[in-house]
Amino acid sequence: MSVTPSRVPVTVLTGFLGSGKTTLLNRILSEKHGKRIAVIENEFGEVGVDHQLVIGAEEELFETNNGCICCTVRGDLIRILGQLMKRRDKFDYIIIETTGMADPGPVAQTFFLDDELKNQFSLDAIVTMVDAKHFEQHVDELNEPAEQVAFADLVLLNKTDLVDAAALERIESRIRGINGTAKILRTQNADAPVDQVLNVGAFDLQRALAVDGAFLEPEYPFEWGGVYQLAPGNYLLETAGEHDHSEHDHGHAHHGHDHGHHDHDHGDHDHAAHTHADLDVVLLPVAAATADALAAAIEPAVRAFADPAAVVPCHGTLELAPSHSAIDLSHPGADFTVTIAQAGAYALFCEHHPLEFGLQLAGLRPAAERRFASHHHADDISSIGISDPRPLDPAKLNQWLDYLLKTRGQDIFRMKGVLNVKGEERRQVFHGVHMMFDAQAERPWGNTPRMNSLVFIGRGLDRAEFEAGFESAVAK
Amino acid sequence: MAKQSLSFALEPRASANLDDYVMECAWSPDGKSLAVGGGEGKVALARLNGAALTLSTVGEHLLGTLAVAWQPHGHLFASAGQDNSLALWDGGDGRERLRLKPAPTPTQALAWSPDGASLASAAGKGVTLWSSLGEKLHTFAPAASAAVALSFDKPGTDLGVALNGEICVHRVEKSRYETRRYKWPAACLTVNFSGNGRFLATGMADGSLHFWNRSTGKDSQMRGYDGRLELTGFSDNSRYLASSAGHEVVLWDFGGKGPEGTKPIVLNGHTERVDSFAWQPGGEHLVSAGRDWRITLWRPGKTTQPIDVQMGDAEYSVLRWSPDGKFVVAGEKKGRLTIFELVAR
Repeated sequence: MSVTPSRVPVTVLTGFLGSGKTTLLNRILSEKHGKRIAVIENEFGEVGVDHQLVIGAEEELFETNNGCICCTVRGDLIRILGQLMKRRDKFDYIIIETTGMADPGPVAQTFFLDDELKNQFSLDAIVTMVDAKHFEQHVDELNEPAEQVAFADLVLLNKTDLVDAAALERIESRIRGINGTAKILRTQNADAPVDQVLNVGAFDLQRALAVDGAFLEPEYPFEWGGVYQLAPGNYLLETAGEHDHSEHDHGHAHHGHDHGHHDHDHGDHDHAAHTHADLDVVLLPVAAATADALAAAIEPAVRAFADPAAVVPCHGTLELAPSHSAIDLSHPGADFTVTIAQAGAYALFCEHHPLEFGLQLAGLRPAAERRFASHHHADDISSIGISDPRPLDPAKLNQWLDYLLKTRGQDIFRMKGVLNVKGEERRQVFHGVHMMFDAQAERPWGNTPRMNSLVFIGRGLDRAEFEAGFESAVAK
Repeated sequence: MAKQSLSFALEPRASANLDDYVMECAWSPDGKSLAVGGGEGKVALARLNGAALTLSTVGEHLLGTLAVAWQPHGHLFASAGQDNSLALWDGGDGRERLRLKPAPTPTQALAWSPDGASLASAAGKGVTLWSSLGEKLHTFAPAASAAVALSFDKPGTDLGVALNGEICVHRVEKSRYETRRYKWPAACLTVNFSGNGRFLATGMADGSLHFWNRSTGKDSQMRGYDGRLELTGFSDNSRYLASSAGHEVVLWDFGGKGPEGTKPIVLNGHTERVDSFAWQPGGEHLVSAGRDWRITLWRPGKTTQPIDVQMGDAEYSVLRWSPDGKFVVAGEKKGRLTIFELVAR
């Protein structure tokens, strides 16, 4: 009888025009990695490496005719994949390159279309290349760059040599704000190691969901927190390079910073008159200079952020929490004084990542630090994560997912989950693109604590709606 | 007097190895030769001489052959492949007569007119009609989507083209190229005319079968297939339309008032997906084969049970009857070709 052959892994490579997809592809194809790779590229073939299987595809969208407009697949891909499977000298990998403006959805959805495709291919990862130099501009002007990031399992932040550290932090933070689960690799000239791009098993959900879980948590009023062990004395909280930081560079940093500023009420300040920029910070004593103590300080920090901020001018002094300070960073090389009366551990929470401003506390490295998802970003695409140990009722779960996909399928770009279903010894995993998804039982829980982990990435998602839906699926 | 024997069976007669995934086989009109296309690109000519099947590779399509078709009443065969080319071969000596590049995209489907005078090819959104000398006779206006299957009706006056969302039927009689469209909002994967010309059928990507009564324009849809419906075909007498998207072959009976409102005949003899089936020319037999390594012979008008099963040792990819309906060639994914003879027992 026929034996089910192992599935051929597929990487979908997406990214805006000029982000470096072709450079990456050419490098993957010419490197010695022992893999036989078939490349399906967009119709304007750019990749050309001898003796490699490179097939041009003319994008052709098929609706699946189930009444949902987001359920489109690539008809041309189905044909090409079928033909590729008629080669006996099997290649062991497929890379599909999409055009710069393409929506990766239909490509990824193709692999969920039917059992025939599901049995032959496994979608390994959606890899999105981001041009660090132009991302901020593109993402503000167009929908596609943010959507491509939203679909990604792996983001290659390319051309990092063309921007400064502050810009990179800003871009990463923005990418995180859109997609809380994607792994981000910084590259120059698309020089990501092949083994970190192919066969990454992004759809290995345990792994995927472990990535930067912080960004799936509820949104916080701060993007960064760090703890320091401090002896009594005065410390300077200062921005980098007082002398060599040119006005031009500074202005550039502010430009990016302003992207993020939305809820921030500057009231009657005249933005045109001067480059005004506040950074909200909270400093508070904690039990120890550890990650655990930092985590315990989140709640008091959130409370402190809720209070009105005291504006601290340049060279001013920061008060300890419960006071909430807005430090004025409008002057290059601004600094502020922190007076520590009692030796101990202190946590500093910042509205934006301090690296965006080159901000440091007396040149110290924090003993522990953590990044947080922030709602301070312009993008309406975001990720929602739910972690909850309570077992789910399979019927109610289906009801919820059915309802969710019918009503929000178009807005949900990606969803992934590992589920603790009542009466099931094994982990139930699912992952999907828009309304099309695949669900199956994976390895048993064994001794590991049972936990539901779900992630939704999409446009205009409301956390409360997802939490209520999850609640409705909990087994009573 | 003894009742007429119902007992037919297939007996293996000859075999050969293509050393490539057998994509397609096409018999010559005299039933003595076969054009064979391979998934990795081989184009071969096989000759049947009694118990011997000799096979010689005549050329290739780099990266894979997609279609092979033998000229009716003629000695040419055509092939097309991933290399974007369309080749015409001499079926006598195996020489490549000419090679065309109809489009900067692969030609997916080929169909000869029943008189053998013209060859239709579909590449991307374009369909072209060629003479047997390779001259371009007509280029149809580009469709909105890729053409994935082609078929002439029996008289050769109409050419059906399967597209995303419609079947286009081009009238090709006396160079009057009128087009009629049969629309349905899903991707058409196959196109078949019934031999009597009354029906036009298509298997669809949404797991349904659609057919139109060509005189009234009325259309009907049969749902419930397990995935994309890539295999459809009318029996030679136009009585049945066979279809398969899984391990069953589903037959719709077009006798009497037609299949609407009726339950189909389900031929249940395979344990795995059926990848090819074929109706016997001039007869009522159907053969099917696929992933369960077996070739099953059916005579649906008489019984829904298999009348013969041939166990092989590999997955089959293609089955084709010889024009006289006496032989079947079975191609395997592993490359072997076997000729079976239909015998009465």
